[in-house]
Amino acid sequence: MAAISVTQRGVVGAHIEEPDQLYAETRELRIQGFLLFMVSDLVLFSSFIFAYLYLRNSGQGWPAGGPKLDIALAAINSIVLFGSGATMHFALENWKHGNFAKFANWIIMTIILGAGFLSGQVMEYMHIGASWSSGIFGASFYTLTGMHGMHVFAGIIYLTVLLLQAAQGKYTYTKYTGLTLGTLYWHFVDVIWVVLFSIFYLL
Amino acid sequence: MEANIAHAERALAVFFGIVVFLVAAVALRNDWKSQGIENQVFKIMLGLLALGAILGILAGLGVLIGKGVA
Repeated sequence: MAAISVTQRGVVGAHIEEPDQLYAETRELRIQGFLLFMVSDLVLFSSFIFAYLYLRNSGQGWPAGGPKLDIALAAINSIVLFGSGATMHFALENWKHGNFAKFANWIIMTIILGAGFLSGQVMEYMHIGASWSSGIFGASFYTLTGMHGMHVFAGIIYLTVLLLQAAQGKYTYTKYTGLTLGTLYWHFVDVIWVVLFSIFYLL
Repeated sequence: MEANIAHAERALAVFFGIVVFLVAAVALRNDWKSQGIENQVFKIMLGLLALGAILGILAGLGVLIGKGVA
């Protein structure tokens, strides 16, 4: 009964503190729902990755007289993105320990590193010497890295919104599911890049 | 000039790769006994993050370089 009342008041937009029982009951469901979203996103990436691998293994030479990727730039760019995963981890840990200032610093660092990664991607695009329409390699490379870049861009906006919400008191030090989900998303984006980095630069 | 930049990028990749690997490994160790579905996923993610850091280090060192890569 209490839960129904809270939901009705929540619908009209009144900001109220959720009861602990309601929070506890819905927390797992929210996390599971978000994990399902991540699984669906993983299926999307997997489809493109397997298509790329199939095309790559079907060809005689790869990339056939095509562009040369810059491994040095890719390596440092990858470490920038993986480093952002570490800073996001620190941000969440500091929130758990009730330190908003450090949380804000680490999440801002994460956003900066994410933007740095996107800048590195743009540099790679400028020097790769291939376009979306220049062949299978170009199409695969731009589709996969572009899709990943869009996820990073969305993640930067997501983290910025989370930071603003945290500053406005939307989350407390015991109720922060939104921040946990944001951290999960950012780690997911990192892990996808581990795969893309491997198939494009290391295989 | 470009070769110098590439050397600097590789050196930075190796140095910060080691830092990221250590951070991920320590975080994984600290979270190892955590319960809850999100913490289980975090452990997988941190493990893969550490793997990514190792790959970045190896790429920076020139040990792992794929076809079509300069």
